[in-house]
Amino acid sequence: MIELVANAFIEPLRQTFFQKALIGGSIAAVVCSVVGCLVILRRMAFLGDALSHAMIAGVAGGYLFMKVLFDIEAHAPAMLVGSLIATVITVTSIGFVSRVSRLKDDTAIGIMYTGVFAAGVVLVSIFRNYIHIDLMHFIMGDVLGVADHDLWAAGLAASVVLSTIILFFRQFQLTSFDPVMAAAIGMPVVAIEYALTTCVSLVVVSAVSMVGVILVVGLLITPAATAYLLSDRLDRMMALSAVFGVSSVVGGLYLCMWLDSSGGGAIMLFCTFQFLVVLVIAPRYGLLARWLRLRRMVPQQLIEDILGAVVRGEGAPLPLDKVAAFVQGEARGLGRVVGAMERDGLLHSTPEGLTLTPAGVREAGRVLRAHRLWETYLQHVGMPPNELHKKAHALEHVHDEESVEYLDDLLGRPRLDPHDALIPDDYAAFAPDSVRSISMLRKGARAVIESMDPQATSVGLAVGDEITIGPASDDDTGWNVTRSDGAEFSLDHRAADAIRVRFKSYKDDA
Amino acid sequence: MAAERVNHPAIDVENLTVSFGSKPALLDVSITIEAGLAVGVIGPNGAGKSTLIKAILGFVKPDFGKVRILGIPADQARGLVAYVPQRGAVDWDYPITVEEVAMMGRYGHIPWWKDPGLEDKEQVQNALKMVRMSEFRHRQIGRLSGGQQQRVFMARALAQGADVLLLDEPFAGVDAATERAILDVLDRAKRAGRTLVVVHHDLATAAEYFDFLILIKQRLFAYGRPELVLNPELLSEVYEGRLRVFADLSGARASR
Repeated sequence: MIELVANAFIEPLRQTFFQKALIGGSIAAVVCSVVGCLVILRRMAFLGDALSHAMIAGVAGGYLFMKVLFDIEAHAPAMLVGSLIATVITVTSIGFVSRVSRLKDDTAIGIMYTGVFAAGVVLVSIFRNYIHIDLMHFIMGDVLGVADHDLWAAGLAASVVLSTIILFFRQFQLTSFDPVMAAAIGMPVVAIEYALTTCVSLVVVSAVSMVGVILVVGLLITPAATAYLLSDRLDRMMALSAVFGVSSVVGGLYLCMWLDSSGGGAIMLFCTFQFLVVLVIAPRYGLLARWLRLRRMVPQQLIEDILGAVVRGEGAPLPLDKVAAFVQGEARGLGRVVGAMERDGLLHSTPEGLTLTPAGVREAGRVLRAHRLWETYLQHVGMPPNELHKKAHALEHVHDEESVEYLDDLLGRPRLDPHDALIPDDYAAFAPDSVRSISMLRKGARAVIESMDPQATSVGLAVGDEITIGPASDDDTGWNVTRSDGAEFSLDHRAADAIRVRFKSYKDDA
Repeated sequence: MAAERVNHPAIDVENLTVSFGSKPALLDVSITIEAGLAVGVIGPNGAGKSTLIKAILGFVKPDFGKVRILGIPADQARGLVAYVPQRGAVDWDYPITVEEVAMMGRYGHIPWWKDPGLEDKEQVQNALKMVRMSEFRHRQIGRLSGGQQQRVFMARALAQGADVLLLDEPFAGVDAATERAILDVLDRAKRAGRTLVVVHHDLATAAEYFDFLILIKQRLFAYGRPELVLNPELLSEVYEGRLRVFADLSGARASR
């Protein structure tokens, strides 16, 4: 049994054509995958596809050139040079069309490559009596028929391309990440762009004879995409991508031997399979990891409901079942959420129940403030009193600073909600040392006067005075303010607006 | 390196006119910004704020006029100006770490055949320390909060060692705490003698943050101390009907 398995792996290695396929395929795969990293980061995958098609015209051109002038059949170097010329023509004409017209890049690519490809097809069909190349060979590739000159071509292309990428790694990295900065520090962005497309042409041309026109794009982008799901650095992505490229070739070639299938097809099948596996199990960017993250994610609404429930207990520990009764909708996963909140330092869990930490009180204050402002607002727009709480309970989750501030302002900065409960202050937005007008502060705030408009000078306060905000006057038309020396002042709306103070703290905080 | 250029203003814009196709983006703008100032650029959407930044970078070709950085024409002043892009302009999924982004600031100083040297690495660490991002240096940039991302790009600009820093809306979409952290970095850069030009959209904070303001809408409407530039009449002319913004500015809440 073991012998049988070992034979399945070793037997193909004794065959010269398999050895050549392995070497040639690996070389092509390494460069393809490394260049592919830049291709997918620059979103140029379509260009790779285009170039592989366009080179057909070059192959036909090179063949005809040698045949007509020197009467040499299927001169491989000439066909290679021909295909390089074809790809370079395609790249330059794409650049030209997208620069001078209002057409976008992808359209320009589509137009130019089909044009060049069509020229190749027409050329081949006109001279079909002269040309004895099998177009199928280019379309499907023939990795098991790799000739020595294919190996040399692949080796040469690989060494040129790899040394270019290694030498100019920083240039390729910066122009693909932030072309504006690259230009600002004087990098020749356009030249680097052309260097990259030339590299793409080279690897495409050298890999087509093995995997074929259609599959070469796969070899260019699939290993790179697989590595992309696993890496946070470009250099590591390139190394990993090369590994995946080689493993696809090795795996694919064995697959093709065992199943007696097409070589290029088997390689790409294996490559795609690799990608799908990584897509599922990649530790950070994989589907499994994402699913786990979503599952672990604690719903914000549940957190806020729990905070709201505990804070209404006014400091007394609240048993978990009471919390569950307060929570809207499903209370599933309550224990997990409580655990997460404990870890975040929002509450303490004791056998008697839950209590809030100072951070929890602050967070709960935000929710409570939103809740009571919403209640006030709903009453303001005429909602019946018995529906206020329920509706506000749902709306309290809309508590971003801007919305709440808008409500507060719209309602004239009320201090009590319809049930005569105190509306908490905006602790989060009221950072110490922020400058506000007195009218925005509530009872108990301590502040230092920063500046005042002329209409407030008659009040008697001066810049630099330290004041404490007292209760507002009963009819809610003004503010009472106590200076640090004990003197009291009462301000109307206009004066309170006109005096700007640097907020220090709340009396009870200090 | 600043010593020999001490007689030149940090940025000198002379009759700058830029257009895209038939649309004028900037018309005959002339500004002289002295070294060591923090200058805010304000104006409505499409007023040419970003174009002005790009012109100072030497990145757009003016139809007419000149931009000089410390006396050197902008298109030759490579490396004297560092740029912090708008948050939307970056691919946050790019496989690159915080440290590598900061190192990009040094790329202009490293010849292509060499690797980053000790001094480059030191500069990068210092810059990261300055924006308090050292502990995140191996983190991929997409896995940071908005404010942290902003600070990484400021570290890159600082590592570049440029005398002039251009920032395109650094405060867009960051929370209050981050805004203070960014301000702190700006302040330190300014104290180190750098000149800052910041595109800013929030008129309410503009006076507090900057020494000078540039009010622009294709033409230069005002350049000077904030209290002079934030003049309701001038603003209503530039921002046209959108007056609500300034009602708040002058503290006129009494209308309620």
